[in-house]
Amino acid sequence: MTMLRVRDLTVRFGGIVALDRVSLDLNRGEILGLIGPNGAGKTTLFNCISGVVRPDTGSIYFDNHSLTYAPVHERARLGVARTFQNLQLWGSMTVEENLIVPMDALGRRNTFSDALYLPFSGYAERASRARARAILHVLDLDPYARTLAGDLPAGIQRRVELARALAMRPRLVLLDEPAAGLDAQETAHLAEVLHAVRQRFHVSMLLVDHDMSLVMRVCDYVYVLDFGKMLAKGEPSAIRNDPKVIAAYLGEESKKLPGDIQTIAAAKKDERPLLEVSKVAAGYGGLEVIRDINLTVRPGEVVACIGANGAGKTTTLRAISGMIHPRAGRVMFAGKDVTGSTAERISKLGLIHIPEGRGLFPNLSVEDTLRLVSNTAGREVDISPAFKLFSRLRERRHQLVGTLSGGEQQMVALARAILSQPRLVMIDEMSQGLAPTVVRQLFEIIRVFRDEGIAVLLVEQFVESALDVADRAYVFEHGTIGLSGPAVELRSDRKLVAGSYLGSAVDAAAIASGNGNGHHADPALMEIVSVRVPAKVKRALEQRAETENRPAGAVVVELLEKVDDQ
Amino acid sequence: MTSRLMFRVLGALVAFALLARIPVGFDVGFKFDAALAVIWAFGLLSLVLLTGYVGQISLCQATFAGVGAYTAGMMVSSAHVDYLVAVIAGVVVAFALGVIVGLPALRLRGITLAIVTLGIALVFDRYIFQDHAFEWFTGGTGGWRVGQATMFGLRMDSSTHLMAAYLVLLALFCLVALLLVNLHESGAGRRFRAIRDSELAAATMGVNLTRYKLLAFGMSAAIAGMGGSFYPLVAGSVSPQPFWLFTSLQFAAIAVLMGVRYVPAAALGGAFMAFVPDVLTRYGHGTFMGHAYEISYDWFQIAVGVLLIVQLIALPDGVWGDLRSRVRHARSAAGAVGGRRVKVA
Repeated sequence: MTMLRVRDLTVRFGGIVALDRVSLDLNRGEILGLIGPNGAGKTTLFNCISGVVRPDTGSIYFDNHSLTYAPVHERARLGVARTFQNLQLWGSMTVEENLIVPMDALGRRNTFSDALYLPFSGYAERASRARARAILHVLDLDPYARTLAGDLPAGIQRRVELARALAMRPRLVLLDEPAAGLDAQETAHLAEVLHAVRQRFHVSMLLVDHDMSLVMRVCDYVYVLDFGKMLAKGEPSAIRNDPKVIAAYLGEESKKLPGDIQTIAAAKKDERPLLEVSKVAAGYGGLEVIRDINLTVRPGEVVACIGANGAGKTTTLRAISGMIHPRAGRVMFAGKDVTGSTAERISKLGLIHIPEGRGLFPNLSVEDTLRLVSNTAGREVDISPAFKLFSRLRERRHQLVGTLSGGEQQMVALARAILSQPRLVMIDEMSQGLAPTVVRQLFEIIRVFRDEGIAVLLVEQFVESALDVADRAYVFEHGTIGLSGPAVELRSDRKLVAGSYLGSAVDAAAIASGNGNGHHADPALMEIVSVRVPAKVKRALEQRAETENRPAGAVVVELLEKVDDQ
Repeated sequence: MTSRLMFRVLGALVAFALLARIPVGFDVGFKFDAALAVIWAFGLLSLVLLTGYVGQISLCQATFAGVGAYTAGMMVSSAHVDYLVAVIAGVVVAFALGVIVGLPALRLRGITLAIVTLGIALVFDRYIFQDHAFEWFTGGTGGWRVGQATMFGLRMDSSTHLMAAYLVLLALFCLVALLLVNLHESGAGRRFRAIRDSELAAATMGVNLTRYKLLAFGMSAAIAGMGGSFYPLVAGSVSPQPFWLFTSLQFAAIAVLMGVRYVPAAALGGAFMAFVPDVLTRYGHGTFMGHAYEISYDWFQIAVGVLLIVQLIALPDGVWGDLRSRVRHARSAAGAVGGRRVKVA
C-alpha cells in the first residue's frame, strides 16, 4: 500500500530550481531513505512533505489526503510527525511534558476547562501522562521523565525528539538527519532504536541523512537526489555500488595521472610542521562534533580534508582558526601554542581562514575589500599582484562585492588571502555552488599558492579535484579522522574513499539478506494483494514490473495464476 | 493533583486576606494608590500570560487597559448600567481588540512585532484617545467625569468607596491569578509554552498556532482590559493620560524587572508602579544637609531604567523569579525536598 505519494514536485527559489519534477513513493511499514550530496534538494523535499516549504507545482498525497497545501498542524492531525535536525525540543518543559503536548494538541481539550481544572481535564491529563510514560519506557528514557529537556545532552535529546514524534500516534515519522552529531557507536545504537520503534509502534519512516552508515543499515529502500533531480532509487546494497551515485558524491573520476606532486610531498616530509593539531575536540552547545583530531600541515604543503557532510571538517577548521574554542587537545601554529587564542591574534600570525560563504562584505567594492588587507597586515599593501593573478577582478575593481558572481566572489576571497602574505590558508568549501569550469580555475589558483610557498588546508566537496591538487588528505568520518595518507594513494583507491561516504562500517552481505527477496513471497500473501501487501513485497513487484516493462497489476495477476496452476 | 489545586486556592485566599487589610489605615491618596496598584497589576498579569507563557511581545498593553476604561466609563455614564456589566463590556471589547492586534503576530515575531504593537499604542494614544475626531466619545485630552456608579445595586462613589472598589479589584485579581497559575500547568498552558520554546516544533506537533496565538492575545488584552475598566470607578473620570504610550512601555519594563514568568511578580510590580512615584512626589522634597532637593516623577523613570539594567545583570529571571529560586536553593540545601524546577507560583 502506498502511504505517501509525491508526484512531480517542483520548487523554485528565485531562479534556482531546488526540486525538479521529483516523485517518490513510500509504502506502509517501510523505512525509506533519502540521500544525496549537499544542495541536492533533500531538505527542500523534506520541508515540502512536512509543510515548511510550499511547492510550486506537483502534489503530495498521504493516505488519499492531499498534503500539498495543508497547514503544518493539519499534517500532524493526519498522522505525519517529524523530528528536527537542530533539536527543537521545548527546553523549559520536562521530557514528560514534551510528550504530553502533542497528545493534548490532537485531543479535544479546552483552554477554559483546563484553567478551571474541570474533572474532564484531570482525567485526560492522567491518561496522557500514562501514555507518555509508556513511550519513554520503550525508548529507554524513563530516568529522564522529570528532567527539563533543555538540560539533557544532545544524544538523549535526539531520542526525546523521536519519543515526542511518537506521542502523536503518527503513521509516518519524518526523520531529519537523526544521526547528526552522533559518533559511530551512537549511530549504531540509533539504528537499533529505529528498528525497535518500527516494530513496536507500527510506523513508517522517511529518513534524510548524510550519514550513509545509518541509511544503509536502517532503510529498506533508498532514493538518491542530485541537483534537484531523482538520480537513482533502489535497495541500499544496489545504491552503494551504483556508479552514478558514487560519481554524484565524489565528482567525476579524473583521468589525470599523478605527476610531480609525489616528489614535492616526499621532499617536505622532514620539515617541521607549520600546523600541528593534536587530540582536539570541539563542538557547539551540548553537541560534541569532533573528537580526537590529529592533523599536521607542513610549510608549503597542500592538504585536503574530505568526508561526508557533518563529519566535522568545518568544525575542525573553526577550532584551528579560533572561531570556536577547542574543548580538549592542542593547536600549534608556527611553533606557538594557539589553543583557545582569539581569531584575530591567530590571523596576525599568518593563518587565514576563508569560511564557507567566503566571509566577504557585500557592500564594499572589490578594491576596498582588498585594501582592507592593509588593516590586518598593519602596513600599506600593494594590491596590484591580486589584479595580476585575477585579471577579471581588475575589470570589476569598482563593483560591489555582493553583486559579483559566486566564482568572482571566491576570487576576491582568495586574492584577499594572498595579499596578506599568509603562511597557511584554510579554505572551506571553495567550490560550493559553483559551475565546474569556475571550480577548475579556482583549483589552478591553489597551485599558485603552493608555488608561492603558502600552505593550504582545503575542505572540499569535489573529492577528485581536491585529491588532484593536494599532497596529502585526511578523510573525516563521524567527527574523527578515519583515513589519511598521500593524495595519490587515496586517489588510486576510489573504493576506499567511497566507503567513507557511503558507509564503510556496514556489512553489505547483511543488508542483502536482511532485505529479503520479494520474488520468493509467500503465495498466501499474494492472495490478499488487493487488500494489503508488505512494503518489501510491493517494492519487489514494482521492480519486476519495471524491468519487464509491464504494469504492476499484470505481474500480480500472473503470479496469482501460477498459484492457481499449482 | 487535587491537593495541589487545594494548595493554590488556599494560597489565593490567604493572599487576598493579607492584601485586603493593607490599605485600611491609609489616607485617601494612598487608598487610591492601592486600587491603582491592582489595576496596574492586571496590566502586568496580562504580560505574564502573553510574554511569560507564550513568548509574544506586546508594547500596547496600556491601550487594552484604556479601551476597557473608556468602554466601561461610557457604559456607566451614558447607559447607567451596573458597574459589573460595564466591566464585562470593557473586557469583551478589549478581548476583541486583542484578537485583532494578534493578527500581525501570526506573521511577525521579536523586534518587528514589538514595533507594530508600539505603533498600535501610538495610534490609540494620539489619534483616538486624544484626537478631536473622537472627542464626542473620548472627551479629548481632558477626558470626562463619570457620573454616579452602582455595583451590585449599591452606590459606589469614587472618593468615598475607594476601599470597596479595592476589595472587588483585589478579589478579581486573585481569581484571575489563580486561573493563570492553573493554566500554566494544564494542557493549554503547555501548548502556550510550546509556542514560546519552539513555534516550529509546536506547529509540527499539532498545535494550531493561529488559534493559540490569537487566543493568547485576546486573553491577555481581556486581562489588561479588566483592570482598566475599573479605572473610571476608582478615579471618577476617564482621561487618556494614564493609558498613554509610556504606560505600555512601563508595563513591559516592570514586568521584566519583576519576573515576567511569575504571577506574584505582577502584584509586586503593580504596587511598585502605583506607590513609588506617589511616595516620591509626597516625600521626595525637603532639605538635606542644608541643600534643598526635590525628587520628581522623572526620577522614577530614571530609577526604573537603572533598576532594569541592574536586574538584567544580577537577577536575569526578574526580582521575583530569582529571589524565589534562591530561597528554594537555600531550602533544598538545608535538606528539604526541592521539587520541580519550573513553576509559576
